Amino acid sequence: MRTDWRDHDWQLIHTIPQSPALHMALDDVLTHEVGADRRAPTLRIWEWAAPAVVIGRFQSLRNEVDAAAAQRHGIEVVRRVSGGGAMFIEPGNTITYSIYAPLSLIKGMSFQEAYAFLDAWVLQALGELGIKAWYQPLNDITSAGGKIAGAAQTHRGGAVLHHVTMAYDIDAAKMLDVLRIGREKLSDKGTASAAKRVDPLRSQTGLPREAVIEHMIATFRRLHGLADGSLQADELAAAEAMAQGKFASAAWLADVP
Amino acid sequence: MHGEYKMPGGKLVVIDLDVHDGRLAKVQLSGDFFLEPDSALHRINAALDGQPADAGEATLANALRAALSPDVMMYGVSPEAIAVAVGRALHRGSEA
Repeated sequence: MRTDWRDHDWQLIHTIPQSPALHMALDDVLTHEVGADRRAPTLRIWEWAAPAVVIGRFQSLRNEVDAAAAQRHGIEVVRRVSGGGAMFIEPGNTITYSIYAPLSLIKGMSFQEAYAFLDAWVLQALGELGIKAWYQPLNDITSAGGKIAGAAQTHRGGAVLHHVTMAYDIDAAKMLDVLRIGREKLSDKGTASAAKRVDPLRSQTGLPREAVIEHMIATFRRLHGLADGSLQADELAAAEAMAQGKFASAAWLADVP
Repeated sequence: MHGEYKMPGGKLVVIDLDVHDGRLAKVQLSGDFFLEPDSALHRINAALDGQPADAGEATLANALRAALSPDVMMYGVSPEAIAVAVGRALHRGSEA
């Protein structure tokens, strides 16, 4: 049976900044916990302790990332559990969130419908901040001022993980130095030298990043209900072990070489 | 050898491969698409390994469909798109 947002007791997790590998592991652990019905459905807002390139589950490490450039900039490269494209992250420059929901919330939906459904609250929040944004299938949120965000989903056990990275104010030159595909895509369009910042959220809202996040949380709370929650000690311990094991391993990072 | 194909309405589908004795070898599919479960990636690579290099796209797409169980879900990628990327790797391989 299909459930609705309001059939669930949504919990918010918004903690101090954490390492890129720990973020990967938290997504793995929390999706599993919601799927096993040990945790209520959850919205997690990410804060980043260090810069990172996060590549999709099926992307080729060497095709996507200039390893020497990443090392030169002190950027950690991690592989996430979901498909989709590479993200370039510097603390404070993006807004990233995860939704961990029972599969019942998207039961009977096509992939395309499920992506748009799980981000409808974000389009509402952006609209209230003066940005007319819409879903661009398959997995992008875009606006008149350009692409705002990319989403990715994966199903694990009884749960869906839906996570999104939104561009707040990105250093385009550094991003193009580190991401190979981005460099090729942009050079095709002749815009590589034109864009110094990719800042659709900053430029279109005029608000600090924290204020945008605050409004997004308030919108989710108003539309779907949201209680302030926290990571359980056993969840954090499991995620830390996985961050130091699986997600720090060369075998996982280069699983698609 | 390396081939890329942007599936219309889908994602980027990339194939890296070698050819040994007229057959595909070391086939590696990659891209920014979505696959459930994620283990299907390795099943796809294995299904393409050993196929005749002159098999043609329709034959390769059929081989992929036969190798994948019905519970595999693809979003932004398809057996046909993977076969096109293989074809591009084979025909553009000398330039890559």
